[in-house]
Amino acid sequence: MRAFFAATFCALAALSGIAWLIRPAPGREGATPLVWVSDDNPARREQIALFNELHPQYDMRLDPTAGMEKVILQCLAGVGPDVFDCFNPWQLDAFVRSGVAWDVTEELAKRGVNVEEEVWPAILPTAMREGRVYGFPANVAVDALWINKDLFDAAGEPYPEGPWTWEEFLPVAKRLTLRDERGRPKQFGFLCDWWQWPQFIMQWGGNVYTPDGTRCIIDGPEAIGAIQFLHDLMYKHRVMPTPVDEAVMATQGGWGSGTITHFGAGRGAMALGGRWWLCTLRDYEGLNLGVVECPHAKRRVFRAYGRATIVNAHSPRREQALDFLLYQAGKEYNDLINRQADAVSAVIRYTYTPEFLHNPDHPEEDYNEVWREVIKYAQTDDTSPFINGQTASRIIERQLDLVKNDQKPVAQAMRDAAREVNEAIAKTLEMDPELRARYRELTGRDRP
Amino acid sequence: MKARRHELRAAVGFLLPNLLGFLVFTAGPVLFSLALSFSNWHLHRTIPFHWIRFGNFVELARDREFWLYSINTVYLMLGMPVAIAGSLLLAILLSQRLRGIVVYRTLFYLPTFTSGVALMLLWKALYNPEFGAFNVVINWVLDALRVEAVVRALGGAGVSAPAWLLSTKNLLGLEVERVGTAAGQWGLGARDALIIMGVWIAIGGNNMLLYLAGISNIPTELVEAAQLDGAGRWAVFRNVTWPQLAPTTFFIVVMSFIGGLQGGFEQARVMTQGGPAGTTTTLAYYIYTKAFEEFQIGYAAALSWVLFTGIFIITMLNWKLGGKELSY
Repeated sequence: MRAFFAATFCALAALSGIAWLIRPAPGREGATPLVWVSDDNPARREQIALFNELHPQYDMRLDPTAGMEKVILQCLAGVGPDVFDCFNPWQLDAFVRSGVAWDVTEELAKRGVNVEEEVWPAILPTAMREGRVYGFPANVAVDALWINKDLFDAAGEPYPEGPWTWEEFLPVAKRLTLRDERGRPKQFGFLCDWWQWPQFIMQWGGNVYTPDGTRCIIDGPEAIGAIQFLHDLMYKHRVMPTPVDEAVMATQGGWGSGTITHFGAGRGAMALGGRWWLCTLRDYEGLNLGVVECPHAKRRVFRAYGRATIVNAHSPRREQALDFLLYQAGKEYNDLINRQADAVSAVIRYTYTPEFLHNPDHPEEDYNEVWREVIKYAQTDDTSPFINGQTASRIIERQLDLVKNDQKPVAQAMRDAAREVNEAIAKTLEMDPELRARYRELTGRDRP
Repeated sequence: MKARRHELRAAVGFLLPNLLGFLVFTAGPVLFSLALSFSNWHLHRTIPFHWIRFGNFVELARDREFWLYSINTVYLMLGMPVAIAGSLLLAILLSQRLRGIVVYRTLFYLPTFTSGVALMLLWKALYNPEFGAFNVVINWVLDALRVEAVVRALGGAGVSAPAWLLSTKNLLGLEVERVGTAAGQWGLGARDALIIMGVWIAIGGNNMLLYLAGISNIPTELVEAAQLDGAGRWAVFRNVTWPQLAPTTFFIVVMSFIGGLQGGFEQARVMTQGGPAGTTTTLAYYIYTKAFEEFQIGYAAALSWVLFTGIFIITMLNWKLGGKELSY
């Protein structure tokens, strides 16, 4: 028996030795390793390669597996990345309130970077909170209307021009929606992801929260009107796919899922989407594309979103990680973003270059000025500091699910959403004395 | 005495690595989570840590979502008897002495060692409202039997194939936003779709293997004696096979209850994201949401302990009610 255990021990020791010998190669010798949590795609890998090339003293690597919740837990446990992505103001709020986002206001100022002056204002809330800077915006996306020129030509429809309104849009979308003899859709006039609902509320003059974030007002008449319009596009005007139509389209020959692939496959004449769609649409051969400003309602305003890079406050290499932010503020990175069409560069001056307007590798993309123009009218989503963004999103999405599936009247769903979000705000205030004090200061009350 | 002490030392030496692992990685976290369930621990540092005694549990009793998701969890377990009966039937069929029986056994066991995510994506396609295999068959049957025309002639609103994963309807007519039933909710929807898939996966899985092992352990003389007494196939099954399989069935029922109450996370994550409108969110998924998306660690720990207590009570009831019969 002893011999058996000794042999097992020796075998395990030998296997450990082999594992040690074949372990992944360490980074470049002498280079400081840095880890960036972001999504893995060819554009991101190219951005990392350029950083490593420009800064040979670092060896930046991608960690594509971690979402916001994992990043927070890893950072708090002391095993977090050096830098990570932040996609919206409420994520930044969660990062800051958990203590994992490093306040880099002074550090960036010392290095001559003025985030507020250099970056498109619409994307600042993903990196700035209450006047403090926690990162640098990596790109900015504002949606416009993609048009499939071939489908317009086939219908003898002139290409639209912006600015224009949803009223002007509707007859065009109806003319471009085609159905077969059984009434089944062959082509939709308009494709739009349901998560773009905040843009409609903004355009209708509504809000999700009051300006101070103390109360959810998604049940206001403007917000209800906006969601009603979105619902009507599917069920009344029938120019946009219902969830059932979407599911059906996703299985038809060669189709992937998602609005981009539906549009790329020619199943929609117009689609609401960002410049970043080009990362996928460039792979479709023979697509004859155009871009026009998204129609507007009462307000000519568009929703801005994008990514900012935040430095982990607990990282032992946070000083070095700052160089990555400086890289993102620089010309090489921003030119690369514009060239890749990974949305639009967040730094304003790099969108005012001839290369931005006319990418020599893609001369057919003659619509880049539209992307720059719409950013001027952009704003980010409403947020409230008094509720966890995930909680609010879960509540609102659940109600919108019922609207989207035509199972609940819009007004009722919005009223229920507002009530539940306000109840959740009240719960947060019960838990958080700091927020409660702030709430009382703003409203004179302890709860909504 | 000395030899015994030596043996004890050796036993402890061998057990220690495992025991330490158990204490550090299982018992420790379990006790830690029990302690946390009496706290308000939140990952936001603006919320100071407090011991709140039974505060989380009181809150939980008032949490509408907790009750709705508990109902979802129990509803998704409705397929359990069918799955168990299916496993037994399959095991009986696969215990026959047929040519190529090993191939059949392997084929039926395939879903168990196939990636769960891959299976779920396949089922998602099967549930496609228009082109999925289910609705193609249902529509064909409805057309062939002219059901639509008949229902309309009777003054009904017509009949259509279910929207499956997109629908909040269910066979019991459970409401979406409150605990109760409504006529408009009656039908087939996402919850039923997950049940059907679950039954399919479970029938050929470990339960079938357990039944196969149980059947192979039944003494042949018992079966032969019954046959000599003139018992037919059904009588042999009812009086010999079924009672002999009672310990196996009991084990399967207990494990299915435990699995069912803890389950639903993977399906919800891959196929429905807990929707539509939260109808496929189970307690396991809700615990994840509360802990890792909303950072309410204390509340999530309380939820976990309520779930554990539920599982424990049901298991005890199973032992109490079912254990008596186990005399074999």
